[in-house]
Amino acid sequence: MDEQKVKFSIVVSGAPYGSQSASTAYQFCASALLAGHEISGVFFYQEGVLNASQLVSPATDEINLPDFWAALAVQYNFPLEVCVSASLRRGVVDPQEAQQLSLEQFNLKAPFVLSGLGQLAELSARCDRLVQF
Amino acid sequence: MTEKKVGIINRCLPHGSAQGRESLDLTLAMSAFNESLSLFFINDGVYQLLDGHSPEETLQKHYQPLFKMLEMYDVENIYVCEASLKQRSLSSKMLLIDVTLLDKQGLQQKFALQDQLLSF
Repeated sequence: MDEQKVKFSIVVSGAPYGSQSASTAYQFCASALLAGHEISGVFFYQEGVLNASQLVSPATDEINLPDFWAALAVQYNFPLEVCVSASLRRGVVDPQEAQQLSLEQFNLKAPFVLSGLGQLAELSARCDRLVQF
Repeated sequence: MTEKKVGIINRCLPHGSAQGRESLDLTLAMSAFNESLSLFFINDGVYQLLDGHSPEETLQKHYQPLFKMLEMYDVENIYVCEASLKQRSLSSKMLLIDVTLLDKQGLQQKFALQDQLLSF
């Protein structure tokens, strides 16, 4: 019997450092993909939006979770969607928003993209399982 | 494809963290795409619906008036844990919107009906 392939959508609510939420979410995604399942997309909400900052700079003997997310998403070709309103409140900004808000800097890491909560509704609708971390 | 039933659980006090506000933001946004949302308020989450807060005094946003938008957005399944209210000497009359009170068994039944749960 074929093992059933499951389509997961993931919600990450925790920062890359300071709580285990995002690391567990990353490990879950990596394991699910290795086991042959599919990740429809990862939605970063609340403190989770900080995973999308290219300024995250941990010590060299520690893991850089934003780098890990970026590499996994590129390798398996799934989107990293970041809630725009939660991001702007926490200082995660892409070039367009920076220009619109007359900010001198932006810091959104590629391939993360800012998107709305409607994108979460979309991810929720087209998955078999929605898992929140 | 039938629409997924999504349950949104609120467990936290309203102003000590952004949990409640971000849960409500998510609910209002998702309601535009999904008409099968249910809201649950349990434990300290019931305080979010208690009328008469003035969080501006602690530099927090007064997001509670937004709960009144739920009706306009057709989010009608709003469930509150009766025991959580009782433990805090609250009654449904003190809440700012109409809700359905449920006991533990009623909550379990409603949870079991959901396809997806998000918790805040």
